[in-house]
Amino acid sequence: MKNNTNVFIKNRGILIFFAVMLLAPFLIGLLEGSSPAVILNNRGSMSKFLEGLGIEIFILAMFALSYDLLFGITGLLSFGHSMFFAVAAYLTGIALKTMHLPFWQVVLLVLLVAVIQALLFSLVLPRVKGVTFTLVSLGLASVFHIIVMSSDMINLTGADVGLQGVPVPAFISPVSERLRFYVIALSLLVATFLFYRRFVASPTGRVCVAIRENEGRAKMLGYNTTLFKIVVMVISSLTASIAGLLHALYQPIISPGVADLGYTVMGLLIVLVGGVGTLSGAIVGAFALRLLDFTLRRYIGESAAIITGAIYVIFVLFVPYGIIGTMNLRQFKTKQGWQRLLGLLKPKE
Amino acid sequence: MTVRDTIIETQDLTKYFGAMVAVDGVSIKIQAGTLHAIIGPNGAGKTTFFNLLSGNLKPTSGKVFYKGVDLTGKPIHRMIHLGMGRSFQITNIFPNLTVHENIRLASQAMENMNFRLLLDTAKMDRCEQRTAEVIERVGLKNQSYLPARVLSHGDQRKLELGMILAPDPELLLLDEPTAGMATDQVPELITLIQDVQKSGTKTVILVEHNMNVVMSVSDRITVMHQGKVIAEGTPAEIAANHEVQTAYLGGLYDLNL
Repeated sequence: MKNNTNVFIKNRGILIFFAVMLLAPFLIGLLEGSSPAVILNNRGSMSKFLEGLGIEIFILAMFALSYDLLFGITGLLSFGHSMFFAVAAYLTGIALKTMHLPFWQVVLLVLLVAVIQALLFSLVLPRVKGVTFTLVSLGLASVFHIIVMSSDMINLTGADVGLQGVPVPAFISPVSERLRFYVIALSLLVATFLFYRRFVASPTGRVCVAIRENEGRAKMLGYNTTLFKIVVMVISSLTASIAGLLHALYQPIISPGVADLGYTVMGLLIVLVGGVGTLSGAIVGAFALRLLDFTLRRYIGESAAIITGAIYVIFVLFVPYGIIGTMNLRQFKTKQGWQRLLGLLKPKE
Repeated sequence: MTVRDTIIETQDLTKYFGAMVAVDGVSIKIQAGTLHAIIGPNGAGKTTFFNLLSGNLKPTSGKVFYKGVDLTGKPIHRMIHLGMGRSFQITNIFPNLTVHENIRLASQAMENMNFRLLLDTAKMDRCEQRTAEVIERVGLKNQSYLPARVLSHGDQRKLELGMILAPDPELLLLDEPTAGMATDQVPELITLIQDVQKSGTKTVILVEHNMNVVMSVSDRITVMHQGKVIAEGTPAEIAANHEVQTAYLGGLYDLNL
């Protein structure tokens, strides 16, 4: 086993990603004939549009990363993960719009609430396992979804219309300071990724992997597994909440859609497409999913969903370990994929 | 033989599964530094008794004392920190992790570094050193970086023993360590268990079906039948015991003495 101790060599993939993404707006600017100065002033139309798409992907990737830590690393399948994201998004919106709090207080509040939510989950963690945990988490998130959607809350949350008109602080306005917003979102994503990488290699992270593999054995080895699950829950919730905060600042409307099961499932799909438990798969998957969705919608329209669905099915059959997972294994077997497909079509005796 | 301290003691230990009694009022004392075997026909309650000792099951009534401390109701993850390690009848390892990682996780449990979120495990020198020692000891050095699932059954049993040895426990509870092993691999593992017990003055409690093994390695033997202890003594005493012979012959077990 080779042990590269150099931090830069060990993380070269993500550092190259960071550099490329930083340069991308300027390169696109050059292609459409605007100088770097124009880009810095947020006046290049094509690059500004693509920066926006980039921000959406970075936010999605952060959300998916937090899901991969929970599901891919620790083996906790939560169907309530969108709650962390949505609570942060709505809290940001309400704190800025209704409570008129200064921005730094909003950030602190969001982080604090993230920890409280994670601890709420940790009440049920030692009591329920496997599918039961999945359903309980779905229940918790559904309660929040119902509250957000209720017409009694229309003044606060905008109910089914969504929360609109959030006053975003001028220095990170997604309209006039989009490049800055883009760089902040990118940096947060890269920082989170680097932290997660370290975490997985740390004693705590190794125990989380052990919990995924065989929780009973981890207990017998002397680990209080519940404690480790709570730690992971808190980290995951904090990450998803930061993503939710960025989402609330970036999007003109915070839709109640971010609070429902669909949003959690999207995180799950991103992780599955990218590669479960690989971390980098969350970033790759977010790019793949968002760009696929964007392209199909642009050329086909709303009915694109059926094609997206078909692509997912083909993906699960032919690339079951996800993009990064398959790359790591260095095996892509088309034959097995066909066999799985035929197995699906063949009627059961 | 000198008089030694009692390391583990049970008082009237009873476990019911519904209306069926699996362990019925067992009171035994096991001396520190001995290799103590528990034998009995299938269904005698040996594994249940083990699960009560290690805390995997809670007794219906009765108590377990480890070095004079009442263990009843203590969570399982505390046991290893008290100096107790146990293996399972069915191999219980982390199949998708490497041999090295399996053992490393077992030794990491004893370090007070479990919540250092940014520490690189490769830099935990003491833990790495201990891992290398244990891997060497159980003879899996050449398979260190293979996933545990690809090992042969015999090697997986060795790996499991390694996972128990890594935290250096005083008391080892081994539930049929040779179960399912190829006959030619059994002596190797038994020698290993004896070595460990002798060199470290450890106590080993062993559940075993292989009578040749039991008779040759044990200091003392407890015989269980239908949840009760029917005899206890040295291997010679047990072999001569009439009641033991009846229990085995009455059951469907071939006591190949």
